Amino acid sequence: MEFIASASTDIGNVKKTNQDSLNVRVISSSAGNMVFAVLCDGMGGLAKGEVASATVLTAFRNWSNEVLPKLCVSGIDDDVIREEWTKLARECNEKIKIYGKRSACNLGTTLTAMLLTEERYYIVNVGDTRAYEIFNYVAVLTKDQTVVAREVELGNLTPEQAETDPRRSVLLQCIGSSDVVYPEFFFGETKKGAVYMLCSDGFRHEITTDDIFYYFKPDRMLDSESMRVGELTLIELNKQREERDNISVITVKTY
Amino acid sequence: MLEIGSMVNGKYRVLREIGHGGMSVVYMAIDEKANKTWAIKEVRKDGVLDFEAVRQGLAVETEMLKRLRHPNLPSIVDVIEDDEILLIVMDYVEGNALSKELTEHGAQPQEKVVEWAKQLCDVLGYLHSRTPAIIYRDMKPSNIMLKPNGQIVLIDFGTAREYKDKNLADTTCLGTVGYAAPEQFGGMGQTDARTDIYGLGATLYHLLTGNNPSQPPYQIKPIRSINTSLSNGLEKIVEKCTQRDPDERYKSCAELMYDLEHYDEIDDQHKKRQRAKVMLFAVSLVVSLASLASGITTQALYVNQQNSTYDARMSDAAQEQRNLSERMDIYRECISMAGKQGEADPFLKMIELYEQYDSNGQPSDIYKFESSERNDMQSLIYSQSNELKARGNYAEVCYQMGVTTWLYYYGESGYCGSDNGSYDSMISSYTWFKECMDEIERTNMDFKNKNLAEIYYKLSKFAKDENSIGLDGSGAEAYSSIYTDLCSMVKKVNNQTPIMQLRVYDYATYLMYKRTANFQQAGKSERNLTDLCNQIEEAMDGITVASDAEQELYDRIMARYNTDGIMGLKETIHYQYNNGAELTEENTAGGNE
Repeated sequence: MEFIASASTDIGNVKKTNQDSLNVRVISSSAGNMVFAVLCDGMGGLAKGEVASATVLTAFRNWSNEVLPKLCVSGIDDDVIREEWTKLARECNEKIKIYGKRSACNLGTTLTAMLLTEERYYIVNVGDTRAYEIFNYVAVLTKDQTVVAREVELGNLTPEQAETDPRRSVLLQCIGSSDVVYPEFFFGETKKGAVYMLCSDGFRHEITTDDIFYYFKPDRMLDSESMRVGELTLIELNKQREERDNISVITVKTY
Repeated sequence: MLEIGSMVNGKYRVLREIGHGGMSVVYMAIDEKANKTWAIKEVRKDGVLDFEAVRQGLAVETEMLKRLRHPNLPSIVDVIEDDEILLIVMDYVEGNALSKELTEHGAQPQEKVVEWAKQLCDVLGYLHSRTPAIIYRDMKPSNIMLKPNGQIVLIDFGTAREYKDKNLADTTCLGTVGYAAPEQFGGMGQTDARTDIYGLGATLYHLLTGNNPSQPPYQIKPIRSINTSLSNGLEKIVEKCTQRDPDERYKSCAELMYDLEHYDEIDDQHKKRQRAKVMLFAVSLVVSLASLASGITTQALYVNQQNSTYDARMSDAAQEQRNLSERMDIYRECISMAGKQGEADPFLKMIELYEQYDSNGQPSDIYKFESSERNDMQSLIYSQSNELKARGNYAEVCYQMGVTTWLYYYGESGYCGSDNGSYDSMISSYTWFKECMDEIERTNMDFKNKNLAEIYYKLSKFAKDENSIGLDGSGAEAYSSIYTDLCSMVKKVNNQTPIMQLRVYDYATYLMYKRTANFQQAGKSERNLTDLCNQIEEAMDGITVASDAEQELYDRIMARYNTDGIMGLKETIHYQYNNGAELTEENTAGGNE
């Protein structure tokens, strides 16, 4: 299986800094082709949010340089990934908490990271950044860790009420502000001829599933050029619709 | 940031940093002229998004806060500000934040939590009744200080109000917003008194269950689904406080206070209903037993199985080759075993092990009941109090806790009375003897150690109140009755273990030595006191000490009888009755040692 990847980010209409951090790489390894993508949405007073998101991004990128090659030899499975990434997320949490304490501010970041091998996808999620699978449908692979998502799950809110609930931007946990982080994992088979997408909440608030399908459907995503155009178009659409947050997206096409 | 050692406003020397939050740092400082300690809170410019707005808001608010006076609030004495910085000088509160208690000891006993809740309700009610009303908005265990005397103080007060209303567009994390009510995120109407009631409810939930509502599973569940022994009344209170819709919460702190004061009555109603259900069940059981005799054997078999598992585990736990934590775990398992809850034995065994083992889990000849061990037992007993009561074992377990605490409690200053003259262990045993006496009274049970328990109770209560006895003019009465109690206790311990004897003799001689004038005022004659002295002296003759701790106590008591150089016990008594000055106001009040 082959992969093409693309990534775009925009500071958005309102904010003075872009606190998102993202990275995607296509890797050729002894265990075949793979893609490693990380997207973090930082938060915190003034210019501190990107410290948190960059810290986590760097930690995961280093992991892909140092540990992943070894796993390609010894074998990758759900348990190994779960163990490795939980450890990594918790280490980052402690590191950022200490930084926050020293500089007397609260900061934190979400995390969505995905390892896509020719057989399987491995996704970790903390917070409300998301991973999608787009084929002849649009499926959200992750579960938002937000107060409103939780309330919907418990039956206290309807999905419609959740859209406008004042707590819609309150995360249940994030890396850097929680006592202990409990990352969630999602595993499944990699589909050939599909598009995988990672995005920040700023990317998806103002656009619909239909918008996403229209611009990101696999037969539109032919090469890195067309993928990039699709990303920029949707970012522009978001801005026109007055999205206030930073906007970031990563797309991967399998074929 | 303020520099440690620097002077602020030519008046306060900054001693050290004692904490910090998102936008502020708190320092301990001393006013060297007045020799008084203060806390200084620094609101930092780079810690907030819009310092100017915050500063202006704060200037108005601190002016108002300076006028607040409430026992559960630190007073603000000074506000210092310039372009860069804003400093608020306030009372330094000694003690620990409740968040620390939670980290160290987990869920707190519900009686304590209710006591704190009432104080919090009182202070919130006071704030809400100011004009305009002050909404605190940041209720959480880390903002509540517990002073050594059991009083609580609401801290971190007077940070910018604007800061606490979250901006909808900004992503935040539950960990940093704590127990904020839904309406605090804007768009759901104004925040008012009911916002604080939500915060208080979430705080009570955390204190009662040990579960932080802002951590997985991120829910405020009925508290009894976490700990069945908690009160049904409290469960309802917490539930009503934490409703999503403010209209469904208590409308005011006064309303909440009323329920807090009567939570056990809500319980009683519940119990009556439960009892009615049990009766109904019993009736139907009789009917079914009549028709299903074979069922009895099955049931009996089941009970037998339970018994044998329990007995087997109890004897497993008794094996000395196992290590301490393993044995303790087995006892805990027995405590929670279905059908065996409320049995006294595992509790009594655990207390005994704690006496015999030191804090590193090693057996020791010197019996110590350390404060961590005490706390451990305490939370276990409180969490199982309903089960113990149901089996009629609560009084016994409390009595044993009381005696062990009385004899071996090893607090921060070491054993009770070691040199510094404090009677910590007696004082800490009071709670247990009181629980024990209350239970005996409540159930009207025939408790084998009732007389002893009663004297222990009286003595420990006296030790606890010693320094305040007489302040209300009841000193004479109190000293007259403690004399009677001391006499009967001295008689009763005569055939007991050396350590039990020594503890009583120590306290009796200490009181007679230190408080001779009080006994005189209470109408006790010189003869009364001398008789008791002689009795103790005689009994001391028959004691063989077996450990260093006992030796230490023994020596200390004998030193009181010693006449080398200074006046001994009997000389002091004689002197007081023949040349003694009238009892002065200060002596009556006890004064400080």
